[in-house]
Amino acid sequence: MTERSVRIASAVLASLGAAISAYILYVRETNGSLVCSTGGCETVQSSSYAELLGLPVAALGLAGFVVLLVAALTRGELARLVNATVALAAFLFAAYLLAVQLVVLDAICQWCVATDVLTTALAALALVRLGPASSGRWAP
Amino acid sequence: MRWRTDRRLRLAAVLCTAAALAGGLVAASVLGAREGSAPVSAAAPEPEPSLFAGIEQRGTALGSPAAPVTLVEYADLQCPYCAQWARDALPTLVDDYVRAGKLRIVFHGLAFIGPDSNKALRTAVAAGRKNHLWDVVHGLYVSQGAENTGWVNDTLVRDIAGGVPGLEPDELLSTRWEKTIDPELERFAAAAKAAGVNGTPAFQVGPTGGRLERVEVASLGPEGIVPAIDAALAR
Repeated sequence: MTERSVRIASAVLASLGAAISAYILYVRETNGSLVCSTGGCETVQSSSYAELLGLPVAALGLAGFVVLLVAALTRGELARLVNATVALAAFLFAAYLLAVQLVVLDAICQWCVATDVLTTALAALALVRLGPASSGRWAP
Repeated sequence: MRWRTDRRLRLAAVLCTAAALAGGLVAASVLGAREGSAPVSAAAPEPEPSLFAGIEQRGTALGSPAAPVTLVEYADLQCPYCAQWARDALPTLVDDYVRAGKLRIVFHGLAFIGPDSNKALRTAVAAGRKNHLWDVVHGLYVSQGAENTGWVNDTLVRDIAGGVPGLEPDELLSTRWEKTIDPELERFAAAAKAAGVNGTPAFQVGPTGGRLERVEVASLGPEGIVPAIDAALAR
């Protein structure tokens, strides 16, 4: 897998994640209802876990996906490192939020799970991009 | 071999930074959740459907339509005083007046405290479609959690609905988000506005089918509302 294809795939996934986060944020700010086939979206979104330091977690997710999108569109070592750091942090935090849904809230939000899947894929791509197979900047 | 060492260092630095970032986020989330609330209900206290056993429920009304007096209750299901009234006063009214065919109680729900009020009210109205609104309202009151902590979760609704013969938990969970619930909520809000309700619980008492009067209750026990009901019955 070339770095270019990894970056393109990352950009697509980050765009999808940003769109989902923006949708959740929009519904929250307009007091609307999420389209939800799992039945637990409202429970999750109205819980105290849907806010972090006074900000909606969806806003944090949107910011994270935008950073990942910019990092995917940017070449160079710094972009690779930022991409990997943010993607891995997002993956770990997403795992925690998924555990909260399953164990604490006993409710599943399909949109949150979708972003969890995207975050996992982005973390995997970030590791591939960070590795020797695509960086092309190492020498024996 | 230098590239291997570089790569390991780079990977270690990335992993450490990512773990520190995620750890900070998780810590902030856990602390925020603790500050904001009582624990989300995992196992709801047993609701008391037996309180209304054998009493006719129809839509938002409890008791015989032929009862001479009607009491309208305006309440937000997250309001602690409403829950106190339901615990302290309602059982006496049900046993002494509703069962005797003297009183009919109508629930007008409001949702001004926050998202859990809206969820709870929609659940109650959806249960009213199956003529079990009062079972669900009372179940929610006895399980009431801290405001807007997500306490009206699916588990609680399933627990309450599971204890009410005639209610299907899955159906209730999906029905409550139907758009057809909205007009009912708007009707409650309009009635509250017309009655000048600006806090909960609030009450109106009067002859069934006739003009209802606002009653200011001095206490949340039965003694707060019984005199007004007795007076209406005496007319």
